[in-house]
Amino acid sequence: MSIGLNDYLFLSALLFALGFFGVLLRKNTLVIYMCLELMLVATTLALVAFSRYNGTMDGNVFVFFILTVAAAEVAVGLAIIVALFRRRLTVQVDELNALRN
Amino acid sequence: MSPVQNALALLFLPLATALVTALFFRRQPAVGRALSLAAAAGIVWLGSRLIFFTENFTIAAEWLTLGPLTIKLGILVDDLTKLMLFVVAFIGFLIHVFSVGYMKGEAHAARFFGCLSLFMFSMIGLTLADDLIMLFIFWELVGLSSFLLINFYYDRPAAVIASKKAFIVNRIGDFGFLLGIILAYWAFDTITLVDIAARLDTSPELIATSIALLIFCGAVGKSGQFPLHVWLPDAMEGPTPVSALIHAATMVAAGIFLLCRVGVIMTGDALTIILWTGVVTALFAGVTAFGQRDIKRILAYSTISQLGFMVAAYALGSLIALRNGADATLAGITAGAAAAMFHLTTHAFFKALLFLGAGSVIHASHHEQDIYRLGGLWKKMPITFATFTLGTLALAGAPFFSGFFSKDAILLLAWQYEPVVFGLLLFGALLTALYMTRLWSAAFLGAPRSEGAEHAHESPVSMTVPLVLLAVGAVLAGYVWFYPSALAVVPTAALALLQGEGHTLVAVAGSSAFVFGAGLGLLFYRPGAAGDFLQQRLPALYRVMEERFYLDALYDWYVAKVQQRFAMLLNFLEQIILAGLIVRGFAGLVGLLGLGARALHTGSLNAYVYWFLLGLVILWAVVAGIFNLQ
Repeated sequence: MSIGLNDYLFLSALLFALGFFGVLLRKNTLVIYMCLELMLVATTLALVAFSRYNGTMDGNVFVFFILTVAAAEVAVGLAIIVALFRRRLTVQVDELNALRN
Repeated sequence: MSPVQNALALLFLPLATALVTALFFRRQPAVGRALSLAAAAGIVWLGSRLIFFTENFTIAAEWLTLGPLTIKLGILVDDLTKLMLFVVAFIGFLIHVFSVGYMKGEAHAARFFGCLSLFMFSMIGLTLADDLIMLFIFWELVGLSSFLLINFYYDRPAAVIASKKAFIVNRIGDFGFLLGIILAYWAFDTITLVDIAARLDTSPELIATSIALLIFCGAVGKSGQFPLHVWLPDAMEGPTPVSALIHAATMVAAGIFLLCRVGVIMTGDALTIILWTGVVTALFAGVTAFGQRDIKRILAYSTISQLGFMVAAYALGSLIALRNGADATLAGITAGAAAAMFHLTTHAFFKALLFLGAGSVIHASHHEQDIYRLGGLWKKMPITFATFTLGTLALAGAPFFSGFFSKDAILLLAWQYEPVVFGLLLFGALLTALYMTRLWSAAFLGAPRSEGAEHAHESPVSMTVPLVLLAVGAVLAGYVWFYPSALAVVPTAALALLQGEGHTLVAVAGSSAFVFGAGLGLLFYRPGAAGDFLQQRLPALYRVMEERFYLDALYDWYVAKVQQRFAMLLNFLEQIILAGLIVRGFAGLVGLLGLGARALHTGSLNAYVYWFLLGLVILWAVVAGIFNLQ
């Protein structure tokens, strides 16, 4: 049994769904952030799979860019979460609703 | 001083004193009185210079240019202006002098005299105006000063109501006047009388007649013609000198002056309607006068009746000219205009005299105005009685008094035009003699019938001197030698009519009307009678006359039941549809949207993710083609 495009796409969708439901259901900002990264990685997996399937390098180039941007984004995002914790002493999203009023 | 400077000084002198009084001396009656009296004397001086030592002239300057329409302000001094100015300046001055005595002890006299000066300014502007727009501006200003003076006693509800009535009824007439000016501009692209007249021949008959009648509307309002006469008797709530000056001698005659000014734009149909308006007014007001007991109201109805005579005279002269096929004679001072203006002049003298006499009586008898509660004043107030009698004779048309000649000129025109009109106007003249005898006999003869009349005494010199001077005018104003040569044009033209066809018959008829009227008056209204003859014999008829033929009640009913309801309906529609549905509806819709948008904004991160999921699903649905329904 050979592993084809559909299997990669299925795995990608599974990972995306996992990440999404993590974002939806978890309350800890740090975990939500990790889940977001998981969704990002799921899309890159799909890109690599398509690149391989089509025999072109376009998808691979996209993945490099996405990984670079994601690294920078992690640095900023984690810094925000740290700053948030210092200010509010919590990272639970239920308690971070200052925008409401 | 050039003639123009003279005219401008004449115009602005009373405005200046009115302003100074209004700004600085509102609470100082003595200063206000002195200023106003000085202005009146100045008007006589400057007016005399203009009348006697100045040739006729006209001058105009551009004031406004609105696209193709250029509005000019200008001064026109001609024979008509001079005669009107003479009436305004001289009778105005005498009434100012009378007011000094009449308003003695009045705390708000400064306001009274200030308004009187404002009125003089407006009235002089009206006589000097050279075109319709300027005439209209001062037309409105005299209406305003009349309003201010009628409600001089603003703590009396009746005076306030009367002033509002006068203003609103006048607005109806003035609106017609304004519409006439606008229609003329719309039809002919000009508002200059001469240019309008030049295009009348080529324009449809309907438009020409409409313009003439709409402008006549202004005269109907201001000169108290039927059916807009209802304000004038109520205007008697103002102080008596005001009634004499504004509501008898000058302002109400402005309508006649206007008609004479716009003579060139008249058409046959319009003149016929004007004629019958005048005749109906003359008779209607004459009959109504019998139902009144208030001395000033009787005089007010008499004024309306005489104004009807003037309007009829004006129309008669031009109608005769049209019938003779000489339409060019509609310009300038026509026979009708001469007769009307002549009657205006003599009327100004004797009616101002009668009103001031009534004021003297009211002043002396502690504000008793009911003629059946006066009486016996002939012995207590000899000067007032003598002058009032002369005024009554002049108004009633006793031979060789001024009113006899001016009324004869009108009757003669009527005779030459149409015997029916002549008969009606002759009957009007008879009524005049009859109701004036009633007033004179009840108020002056017999024995005093009230406390006030019992203690009456002759008025001070400042009041009796104007009475005597006006009495001289009332007696002599019918003779051409009474007028200086500068003023003699109109009286000469009017008196020349008396040489016309049928003059003996008309003179005899006019004298007989007086004799019969006065004779019947003395027969019916015996001196010393406690009540009204008609009221005792025909109470139902008297009641109808007392209620002014229910015309005021009809108007009240119309305003309260028709107009007010219609206004309420409009208000309802405005509240429901405009304010309710449209204005509040849109605001409510936006508010509702805001409410919904606010509900989405929970502040909880999870909720936003759900919305994100929903968006994602919709995006997927669009891409997958679920919304493509082909």
